[in-house]
Amino acid sequence: MSLSLWIGMVIAALGTYLMRLLPLLWMQKRLKRSDPNGAVDALPKWLVILGPMMIAAVLGVSLVPRTPDIAGWLATIIGLGVTLVVWRRTRSLGWPVVAGVATFGAVVILARVVL
Amino acid sequence: MSDIGISRRPHGWLTGMREAIPLLGGYIPVAISFGLISAQAGFSTIETLAISTLIYAGASQFLFVGMIASGSPLWLTVAMTLLINVRHVVYAPNIAPWLPKSRWWPWLMHGLTDQVFALAHSRLPQLPEHQRVGWFLGAALLAWFSWIAGSLLGAVGGEWLTSRWPLLGEVMPFALPALFVVLIVPRFTSRRWAAALGVSIAIALLCTLTGLTNIGIPLAAACGALCFYLIRLPETIAPRKGGHP
Repeated sequence: MSLSLWIGMVIAALGTYLMRLLPLLWMQKRLKRSDPNGAVDALPKWLVILGPMMIAAVLGVSLVPRTPDIAGWLATIIGLGVTLVVWRRTRSLGWPVVAGVATFGAVVILARVVL
Repeated sequence: MSDIGISRRPHGWLTGMREAIPLLGGYIPVAISFGLISAQAGFSTIETLAISTLIYAGASQFLFVGMIASGSPLWLTVAMTLLINVRHVVYAPNIAPWLPKSRWWPWLMHGLTDQVFALAHSRLPQLPEHQRVGWFLGAALLAWFSWIAGSLLGAVGGEWLTSRWPLLGEVMPFALPALFVVLIVPRFTSRRWAAALGVSIAIALLCTLTGLTNIGIPLAAACGALCFYLIRLPETIAPRKGGHP
């Protein structure tokens, strides 16, 4: 990379970092002004709603399989189903993910053989 | 494996690392792809690592090397990279109420990616205050190092890896939707939330299918929030069974 390219990369990196940092400093200031016991209440309503919506959006983006063919979609649907069932039984983070990935892999391999 | 409800743990950072393990399934294969594409675009291994270490935002990194390789003006490349990352501005304020006072937070914000945010937003409120800095440090560092290590692997031996184990690169990324579904399901507490979250998931999925991945997250989240404000449905679906202790 040329010097100008390095500078461009550093600006992009710094800008990205500031977009992660500055809103935190703003919110911390806002929280400091509010009642220390009601920190969560000090959060603007739109932000309380936007948080889970962002997680839902990240889920939506990640749902598309790497190879979006019938086997990939079938594995995604069954894998999610198994993930949910294991979550209902265990209420944990790790086991549902392990079960989901194992099921996804098994269904992809089986479906490619059968279809 | 980590039980969501159990909060008494000796080391917050260890819990954070353990709970961030599912992220690796998504991070490493994508980072390998980035390393490979970056190398093919003419970036050296050191340059690839510098981009992954400093920018540390998946989609924008692909765009950065792609635009540079295709000869786009540098100012436009930087502007587009920043534009894609604008969505990050809503993450930190959302977790701020659960961050105890510490001088480490400004530094730790570098690790606040989409996935780390999703995990932190769900887990931080459940952890005791004294474990939260350690938990975030453990989770964010593991995710960051895995991204850097994956980029290195991709830059050095990406072609060999993808030809040797093509299925692994296809299966492991499913860890991400599996993790996110576990994080989001407990939020389906009323018809109103269910409808809004459903809209957000559906629009993000549609955007990705139509090649609009970069705008997908903010657009889908905005539509979901709009749906939440516009609709008025009965609040409760059914009494919650079990739930978190």
